[in-house]
Amino acid sequence: MFKTFSYIVRRLLIMIPMMFAISIICFIVVKLEPGSYISQYMDNPRVSVETVIQLKKTLGLDKPAVVQYFMWLKEVLKGDFGYSFAYQISVSKLIWDRTGWTLVVSLFSMLFTWVIAIPLGIYSALHQYEVGDYIATVLGYIGLSIPDFFFAVLLMYLMLQSGNTSIGGLFSQQFIGAPWSMAKFINMLQHIWLPTVVIGTSGIAGLMRVMRNNMLDVLNSPMIVSLRAAGLEEKSITWKHAVKNAINPMITIAGMSLPALFSGTIIVSIILNIPTMGPFFYNALLNHDEYLVMAFLLMLGLLLQIGNLIADILLAIVDPRIRYS
Amino acid sequence: MRKSLFVIMLVLTLTSVLALAASWQPLALNKAMFQSEGKYGGTLTLRLSSEPESFNYYGTLSGAAYAIDDFLFSPLVQLDPITKQIEPALAKSWKVSEDGKEVTFYLRHVKWSDGVPFTADDVVFTMNYVLMNPNALGNEVARFTINGKPIVWKKVDDYTVKAILPSSYGAFFMVLTPALIMPKHSLAQYLPAFNPKVKDPSAFNKAWGVDTDPSKIPSLGPCILEKYVTGQKVILKRNPDFWETDPWGNKLPYVDKVVFLIVKNPETALAMFESGQFDWISISPGDFPYLKQKELNGAPFKVYNAKSMNPTPSPIHIAFNFDVKDPDLHALFNNLSFREAMEYAVDRDRIVNEVYNTLASPRVGPVLPGTYWYDPKVEKIARKFNLKAANGILDSLGLKMGPDGIRRFPDGKKVEFALLTRSNSPIYSGISMILQEDLKKVGIKVDIQPLSVSIAYQKALASNYEVALLAFGDQPDPQLRKAIWQPGNPLYYSHLSTLNKKEHKPVFSNMYWWEKVIWNDFEKGQSTMDQKVRKEYYDEWQEVYETMLPFIFICKGNSLMAAKKDLGNFFKNKDGIIVHSALTVYFK
Repeated sequence: MFKTFSYIVRRLLIMIPMMFAISIICFIVVKLEPGSYISQYMDNPRVSVETVIQLKKTLGLDKPAVVQYFMWLKEVLKGDFGYSFAYQISVSKLIWDRTGWTLVVSLFSMLFTWVIAIPLGIYSALHQYEVGDYIATVLGYIGLSIPDFFFAVLLMYLMLQSGNTSIGGLFSQQFIGAPWSMAKFINMLQHIWLPTVVIGTSGIAGLMRVMRNNMLDVLNSPMIVSLRAAGLEEKSITWKHAVKNAINPMITIAGMSLPALFSGTIIVSIILNIPTMGPFFYNALLNHDEYLVMAFLLMLGLLLQIGNLIADILLAIVDPRIRYS
Repeated sequence: MRKSLFVIMLVLTLTSVLALAASWQPLALNKAMFQSEGKYGGTLTLRLSSEPESFNYYGTLSGAAYAIDDFLFSPLVQLDPITKQIEPALAKSWKVSEDGKEVTFYLRHVKWSDGVPFTADDVVFTMNYVLMNPNALGNEVARFTINGKPIVWKKVDDYTVKAILPSSYGAFFMVLTPALIMPKHSLAQYLPAFNPKVKDPSAFNKAWGVDTDPSKIPSLGPCILEKYVTGQKVILKRNPDFWETDPWGNKLPYVDKVVFLIVKNPETALAMFESGQFDWISISPGDFPYLKQKELNGAPFKVYNAKSMNPTPSPIHIAFNFDVKDPDLHALFNNLSFREAMEYAVDRDRIVNEVYNTLASPRVGPVLPGTYWYDPKVEKIARKFNLKAANGILDSLGLKMGPDGIRRFPDGKKVEFALLTRSNSPIYSGISMILQEDLKKVGIKVDIQPLSVSIAYQKALASNYEVALLAFGDQPDPQLRKAIWQPGNPLYYSHLSTLNKKEHKPVFSNMYWWEKVIWNDFEKGQSTMDQKVRKEYYDEWQEVYETMLPFIFICKGNSLMAAKKDLGNFFKNKDGIIVHSALTVYFK
């Protein structure tokens, strides 16, 4: 137990220099993007050149990149990740405001993917090379090969044709910002299935195939043969032994998909007008709102590391053979 | 005893009536904006294509913020949306001194939505400390400075202010129309001049961020901010004390609430409009035929097609960079005959037909035909599509046709240039392709270079391009477009060497004689207040532009809208203008 604890502490400590390295790389990438925050205002008739020059000074964009990096670092250490160029309020507040819906949409679609993919994978493995296996595989691949944006537009078109009015967003207009009620919840369900299906379907094929392969590996292993020889029931072999062993790599995959909770919905969110972080981040990128972009990238980096750590810990819990030292 | 009581009561009644009259000074809107007297009630839902980055009008560069603030605040004077004439707003009247250097404004007796009276202090505060504050992101310093000297505002009494101009300034009232007045009692605390605790000169920009409590933003416009749901919608409610009325004396606006839904993607917005979630929406030429078909099939909306409205648009144009580095192209672009040949090669009718579905006016330059500032003489100078004429000129310039159908410079190099334009726009890419095709027919190779909006403008305004296809925004007066069309300005990007960037002064030695003429026209045009004299200068500018072609203007897209059928006072008038305003529409 102590060993596991010290392992976790060590992993957490390693994250600190790692985050520095990530921040430097992110900063370089942000700076490599052509144009800058102020260039977009050149065509804005309300903005005079004098203002643009003043703005450049205020934001420190006239200083060398290294100085700008340390200016940014100072803001991060203060805890609010600096002020957004465009919004003039702190980046941490801006991001926090959008976290809720992002998580809701991502969790819904992730749940959708897993609930469908894992049983399908197990089914395919148990019925290898049978019609059911092929049908599941083909359906999975259709989901994978339809581009998200196209699927979203297609579903929206079909809804419009059928006279459905719950198009775009997570709520009808009157429920946005209204206090929670049963009607609001139902209204959300009427809207949220669309992004859930669109985002969820693309992940099914991959997960399903991984699960199927793992299952097949385990099912063909000597351990299962010996269990069968011992006279165990087929049902108990499948569920108690095969699935339990096959699920290990899925935990790693789940851990690594933690950042996708925040970044995985960009295109669909833009098309379906969902108030998640995706479009917000995309806009910040287009506008060169550097502090905002940096905070996003850092957050994704941190989540990836935390996801990996959680996966490792979970693995140790699920599989007693794995020990950390 | 009784009598004296009666007198006292009479006096009391009279004073309260007088006080009422003083506190309520309405302004009736032009009858031409109405079809009929409206009904109160309902929620108007409109689209906002980006989220507001702040509610601070002078502290942000966010277009969405401007759209919202237009509902919350009012200017001293405003443009009548139909006649485009200056009419009173917060200033109920004004007087211009004989030399044109002093303008006295008499203010309306109205109240901010938090109950504080609006006075001359608010005007002086806004004009001298906010709008002229170089650290405010959305400042208006450039427009309120004449020959390097600022316009200064002085309070005469609570309801009278005086603007002192360094010299008479023709566009003065025009630049006042977007200058919304801000509440001093709520914003002064963010400026170092009023609050010694504030040290950061740009702290003003942090006022009224999107996380501000709406009740902290007092309003003097048609609406009051009720709520902002981050990234999703802005709710405005009717300001019961707004001072504009319809011609029948009813207070405006008619609707109880105006709700902006933030929808970035235009296709999604259109689908939402079709499913009844928006009351009106702007549409693109590509969507027009489809929506018109739906309307004819009985959809509950109507589509409108009208000519563009703003008298001085800055439509799509071609700019040949006079300062291009390549010596062959440099000589070519600086040659008027070449530019004339290029105008002969622009097939405007085809562009209007194919790119705009016929929903555009060809040959609209920097002044809209049919408006006050338009000079019809330019039509006689203009060159019509004629590839033969173009070929003839190019031959006479000594550019011989090569065996591959591309002309050669005398040194054997191909006549070829890159056309910088905006990406992600069917309009820009459509026009570039037609230009590429037509110029190929006269032996010139065009390489289209589509870049994202911000990068395209950045390159153009840094003179880092060969030929560009771009456009700027629309305005109601030539003075407001001076920074683009007057040589020696940062947006006169076809010949940027006419500007000394460091000192921000024109370089006359780098100007052609005709550029000096234009420079002079704009200087003179801004200094006189006599509109007839101003028009003469702007006529000369238009004629010189059409003759010397520093830019080749292509066309101006129509303004296209779709609106629900149950909206009253949303209509196309006999002059072909779509009349609509959130103030005047109502639900039938």
